[in-house]
Amino acid sequence: MEIRTTLFNEIAGKEIRNTYARAFLKAMPAAIAARREAVMSSFPDPDAAQACGQAIRAEVVARLPELLEQFEQNAVARGAKVLWARDAHEANGIVLAIARERKAPYVTKGKSMVTEEMGLNDVLVEEGIEPFETDLGEFIAQQLKRPPFHIVGPAINIPVEEVCDLFMEKAGMEEPTTDPVELGYAARLFLRNKFHHVALGVTGVNMAVAETGTIVNLENEGNIRFNKSSPRTQVSIMSIEKVVPTMADAMHLTRLLSRNCTGQAISAYVSMDSGPKGGGEIDGPEELFIIIVDNGRSEIYADPTARQALRCIRCGGCLNLCPVYAKIGGYPYGWAYSGPMGQVLTPLLLGLDRAQDLYRACTLCGSCREVCPAGIDHPSLFLYYRAKDVEGDRRLRGKRRPWKEFGFFDLWSRAVAHSTLWNLGVRLVRPFVNRYSRGGVITTMGKYFEGWFRTRNLPAIAEKTFHERWKRLRRDTVSGDPDGRRGEP
Amino acid sequence: MEKVSLFIPCIVDLFLPEIGEATVHLLRRVGVDPLYHEAQTCCGQPAMNAGYREQAKRAAKHFIDLFGDDDVIVSPSGSCVYMVKHHYPQLLRDDPVWLRRAEELSGRIFELSQYIVDILGVEEVGASFEGTVTYHESCHILRGLGVSDQPKRLIRRAEGVEFVPLPLADMCCGFGGEFAETYDYISEEMVKEKVESYLESGADLLVLCEPGCLLNIDGYLSRNHPEKKALHIAAFLAGTGRGG
Amino acid sequence: MSKEKTVGHSARDEILGKLKRIPKGAMLPRPAMPPLREISLDREQMVATFIEKLTREEGVVCRVSDGSEAVARLTEIAAQEDLRKVMVSTDTVIAPLGLPVWGRERGITVLTPGDFSTRDSFRDAVFDEVQAGITGVNYAVAESGTIVIVHDAHQPRLVSLAPILHIALIPTTRIVPTYEQAVEAIYGDTKDIPSHVTFTTGPSMTADIMGKPFKGMHGPRRLMVILIG
Repeated sequence: MEIRTTLFNEIAGKEIRNTYARAFLKAMPAAIAARREAVMSSFPDPDAAQACGQAIRAEVVARLPELLEQFEQNAVARGAKVLWARDAHEANGIVLAIARERKAPYVTKGKSMVTEEMGLNDVLVEEGIEPFETDLGEFIAQQLKRPPFHIVGPAINIPVEEVCDLFMEKAGMEEPTTDPVELGYAARLFLRNKFHHVALGVTGVNMAVAETGTIVNLENEGNIRFNKSSPRTQVSIMSIEKVVPTMADAMHLTRLLSRNCTGQAISAYVSMDSGPKGGGEIDGPEELFIIIVDNGRSEIYADPTARQALRCIRCGGCLNLCPVYAKIGGYPYGWAYSGPMGQVLTPLLLGLDRAQDLYRACTLCGSCREVCPAGIDHPSLFLYYRAKDVEGDRRLRGKRRPWKEFGFFDLWSRAVAHSTLWNLGVRLVRPFVNRYSRGGVITTMGKYFEGWFRTRNLPAIAEKTFHERWKRLRRDTVSGDPDGRRGEP
Repeated sequence: MEKVSLFIPCIVDLFLPEIGEATVHLLRRVGVDPLYHEAQTCCGQPAMNAGYREQAKRAAKHFIDLFGDDDVIVSPSGSCVYMVKHHYPQLLRDDPVWLRRAEELSGRIFELSQYIVDILGVEEVGASFEGTVTYHESCHILRGLGVSDQPKRLIRRAEGVEFVPLPLADMCCGFGGEFAETYDYISEEMVKEKVESYLESGADLLVLCEPGCLLNIDGYLSRNHPEKKALHIAAFLAGTGRGG
Repeated sequence: MSKEKTVGHSARDEILGKLKRIPKGAMLPRPAMPPLREISLDREQMVATFIEKLTREEGVVCRVSDGSEAVARLTEIAAQEDLRKVMVSTDTVIAPLGLPVWGRERGITVLTPGDFSTRDSFRDAVFDEVQAGITGVNYAVAESGTIVIVHDAHQPRLVSLAPILHIALIPTTRIVPTYEQAVEAIYGDTKDIPSHVTFTTGPSMTADIMGKPFKGMHGPRRLMVILIG
């Protein structure tokens, strides 16, 4: 997958004018917020339920190495083969080696963001092994060579006509149709054929339960279950933070994930694997490989502020409520992860320098933080990244800022600490700004703040600021007490 | 006697001083005669949000020194109150003395409507307005400070007011400080939708508690729907309006 | 099943080594959560809740008193759906019903996993030849109208997944209020954990094309449930 995180403004500028996508995104927030609230009320105490999810994920981060070891031990005891990969290159190499050895001409894949992060599909294609995404949205996005639009609906923005053309060209559909149900059925037939004969199925992992060595996957379509049932070999790939302590924890997170993602009480299918198939079973994998991928996360773990990013359970709740995402959709985030969780994770994985807009294009409104079932404070992380960028932090790859900007804030901060400077500054700046004023309103300042003035006016700087008015106000004191006290009403 | 001190944000100082005046008049009407430390300037949010922590620290220390002796600090800006309460302790966490002072201060600074309703215990402030009024839930006030009920109570108690809900009231208006300029193409779409909600509500007036939101929303209204107004809650309750 | 050592020691040790060097972070207290409302339901209430939840997900639910009535209901369904060839599990709910004989009497080919000597021939049949999969379940969860199936030699994975119609028979004695009861029963004894467990709530679905939801993506398009007892 091509990384386009440095093209944020270009892509967002284009997407924001896409009336089709905009109409779709406009309906989403209110609809999802309503569904989420309704389904969270199945908990007698929804706030406690959310706090419990946050506590589970905080525990996971606090106990990460010991939980991973416990998971590995229990998974291996059930016959799974657990492999570790330091980075994407190593992880891809492991998958390739397995696919080569089993002579798989193609693989079928369930939705897995970590494999997008790894760029696994490109590696397989280079090797002559065709990877078929089988989640309907991923399938469409893959065939159209588009990045995911939404964490849960990767192709949810693509018009039906385009899907129709695509399926006629690439999925063996014979009769044109714009009915989503019929299009879905065409994809079903095409991919069913792939499932039928597949030798190697690849899945992600929603949760890896330490207590039992079990991997858990949530889905609505059934494609992940096919990947776990039809082929002789199953490869399930997880990044290190996917582990959870117990089965009970996994069920609680299943409830929260489903509710935050799509407003469902539970996804249509939850499947749990503890090792490969048993001896007498006639289907299921003879070998189950679980690949645990680091790819920069142990570095994130070492950063006491940033490590909360590892709590994320990829529910997409933050995307569903983000007012910025609701204008621009998933493409501008430029990689496998979009919306606020992408803004949290991508700068840590790629470096602050390659994701400059991701942590700045945010009003810090806090809707994401408020909804997060894992307890991530996205706005405070964005402020942290901004500070580390300004400081040119080496480890996080801060870039430093233009010297003019630094100069401005430095001078400004000295004026803030000395009010005579502040007031002097105001008196100097005021005539310059107010020469643009007509009747107390500024509609343009030439080439300054063009972005603001394109659609907005600004009041002129007051002829008398509050500072300058205080003397008169102060003399108005009802009690006649110049020092001002809270007196009798 | 309790020392109640006013913090007037930089935006209000420069562009909307009448909101500061309305705040003073309103507080006096409910029996509080506030102090104003003239050496105040800015809470430091712009530097903080841009990642300039050292510079924001200078603002924080100046603020703490200046307001250190007051019993209560009141501000007509929720985002400034949030900055002081939430961010000052974080900014100063490496220095135990400053950290203690910041933490101690955070317990006695309030947004205006929160102060009137929760601390003074007052809802009837002699306000009046003939018509329908709606309310925009500013992000830092709602999610940062947990203040939502208080402004609406004050609005509802104004004589002659019929309160109507604002669709998507808690959706960000798109100001975000520098965001409004740097990501102007996104910001303007957000404020446009906020104004569409306002129009959809049918209200005669939109009231809010955050000066930044006001600049943004009123800036858009002034250009595109000059017949519709937005007002800060201080001006609304004091009955002073803009330019009053 | 041989215990296989993990491969790639250097990567494993390096990753775990890095993680272990970091001081343990703070944990948050687990809040006290009031029990889910379903916990206090009695059997009949659980059945009613189960039916309500599953029906909302477009599951088709009916209830009969015993095994023979269940078979009678299957006969009706077979006629209604014009079923000629089906695959059935041989789990503890289905096995006693004698479905292969039932099928022979009605001109319906009833296949069981035991009929196949290779996984490929079984796979071919369940993918291409049968019109329905008939299975029992291990648990039914009232909380969300969910059926829980523990897969094993008698309960292959594909029987409830590949055919376009899944018919599930559920003794009402197997209804539990919430997921925790099922999970505790299945995973409580860590010495004997099943290889594959599925929680199914209604038919397969997606809304991936323009957000328009519909049933029947990869898994069954329809789920019919016969509650017994």
